[in-house]
Amino acid sequence: MAAVLANPIARRLLRIPPSYFVFLVLLATLWVARPNMLNLNIMGIFVRQIVPLGILVLGQLVVMRVKSIDLSGGGIILLINYFISSGTFPGASMPFFVVLALGTGLVIGLFNGFMIGSRRVSAVIVTLAVSIILVGLVQFLSSGNPPGDVPKLFNDLYNTKFLSVPTPVLFWVLLTALVWLLLSRTVFGRYVASVGENAEAAHFSGVPVQRTVILAHTLAGLIAAIAALVQTGSIAVGSVRVGLDLPILAVAATILGGVVFGRGDGGVWGPFFGALCFALLFVVMTVLGIDEPGKLIAQGVIILGAAIFYGVRVRNP
Amino acid sequence: MVRSVFNILNGRNTRQGLWGLPLLVALLISLWLTVETTQFATAENLFNLVAQAMPLIIAAIGQLVVVLIGGLDLSVGSVISFTTAVLALDQPAIVLIPAVFVLAAVIGLINGLAITRFNVHPIIATLSTQYIVLGITRILRPVSGGTVPEIVIDAVSGSFLGIPYPVFWGIVVILAAWKLLYGSRYGLHLFAIGGGIASGAESAARNFGVSDRRNIILAYVICSCFAAVAGVFLAGRIVSGDPNVGLLFELDTVTAVALGGTQLSGGIGSLHGTVIGALVMALLANGMNLANVSPFVQTAIKGGILLAVVGLQSRKKMGL
Repeated sequence: MAAVLANPIARRLLRIPPSYFVFLVLLATLWVARPNMLNLNIMGIFVRQIVPLGILVLGQLVVMRVKSIDLSGGGIILLINYFISSGTFPGASMPFFVVLALGTGLVIGLFNGFMIGSRRVSAVIVTLAVSIILVGLVQFLSSGNPPGDVPKLFNDLYNTKFLSVPTPVLFWVLLTALVWLLLSRTVFGRYVASVGENAEAAHFSGVPVQRTVILAHTLAGLIAAIAALVQTGSIAVGSVRVGLDLPILAVAATILGGVVFGRGDGGVWGPFFGALCFALLFVVMTVLGIDEPGKLIAQGVIILGAAIFYGVRVRNP
Repeated sequence: MVRSVFNILNGRNTRQGLWGLPLLVALLISLWLTVETTQFATAENLFNLVAQAMPLIIAAIGQLVVVLIGGLDLSVGSVISFTTAVLALDQPAIVLIPAVFVLAAVIGLINGLAITRFNVHPIIATLSTQYIVLGITRILRPVSGGTVPEIVIDAVSGSFLGIPYPVFWGIVVILAAWKLLYGSRYGLHLFAIGGGIASGAESAARNFGVSDRRNIILAYVICSCFAAVAGVFLAGRIVSGDPNVGLLFELDTVTAVALGGTQLSGGIGSLHGTVIGALVMALLANGMNLANVSPFVQTAIKGGILLAVVGLQSRKKMGL
């Protein structure tokens, strides 16, 4: 085993985030089982469903690069969905909702960042507590019943296509590219990398560690708000349960993509494919006729397998 | 004197974490409920409260063991559901009860091995087992049903000298955990490993001859076994197997552990803090039910209290 791992080619292969391998395996499975499924239209519909998760992953990967975590995405999605669907703001236009959503995400992200960066409270607890509070608040406001309908424009926009690719998917790719540029080409990106690598060393090198962490969380809040807008467009109705398991799935997708707490080997595209894996996984299971319990088991086995595969690599650098 | 009271209240310079403040919160809630409602301070309600809080207390103690070494176990809820499902399999109790603990230990072993041998992050490893175990539970029992062995039902529903059995469950579990954490070499090693991990020196304990790998694996096994005890207790209470009974338990246990002043970075925490944390959550639920507060507001208030208590803890480093 050790000899195999020491081989330069094997080591080069092991540097690649597990999400790419899982993606290829799933694609091959689908190709063997149902070759006719592999066309742009069908895949577009399946990939479109995963866009909220994919966007949430972008925020998650930024905070995980600074050795933090954000589990408040579920609460943010629920709250924004409630704002839009409840009719609290009658006759409001779409731009108003977009600004409201982004503002909400910004404030919640800033609060998370302040508590984690300044007050140094545990990131898991703060973001979990924020999520619990928001979920409780929304359920109280709506008395546990799903609120009303979403303005039709949201769903119409969600259903549009550009060159036979659904626009939400294009939007996701665009946003991923933006985050990629942000992390690889800007000063902030360098700060994020150095804080994740070693916060103490970064501090003594003059990197504003606290500000970087706060900014990373604010960004994650903002990105969660964008995910909430897309999610709301996709389900087109109000809901009191939507998106609650997304944050933890986002963590899983990010780690599948080779970004672990403080380490960013997978870049931005590794987690991107991590999210795609969940889309494909869903398709493959549906095609193979695996029911709900089987899906859960397969999901767990794949995440664990990929993480073990990646963990072995980290252990033998 | 004043200074030491102050230190207990803000949890500074202590390995036990901030447990004074949650205790104060618990006492205040109890006081408020005694004054406000007539039903609270009755023996019946208090025993009921203990029985309601017991699964959370037991599972939270297991979670504490894992948190002390800087880990996190998200599979607790699934293990609880799984235990109730296995107990309702219609086999003799002599087979089922040992089987439940063996299976729980295996789940813990998988968690521990993945984390120590294969370097998987605890959140990912235990999240995966959460999914896998939940899937198996749903295959065993798609909806709630079946009956658990008679002996399990009797063990939680009877009473001795006017004191219901759940109280004894609590005493036995807490005593066992006390012995494990404060009366054994293993407990000392837990704090040593966790303290090292929290301060960024992961090999600190190993350098002093404490086997970190084996102890970490054991911590996850213990956590799963405590979850199985909670599952047996719950199975006795609901009399059947239920694939959803443990839902969100992993978050509740983390909440209880954090409420009790234990720091998730490891090394700092206490058994009494955790029990107090679980009691605060049970008191809140019980009290707000008596006061007719909507269950949804209860959720929000639970989150708010968690945020407030944890926000008051002082930490030197940022992080999970």
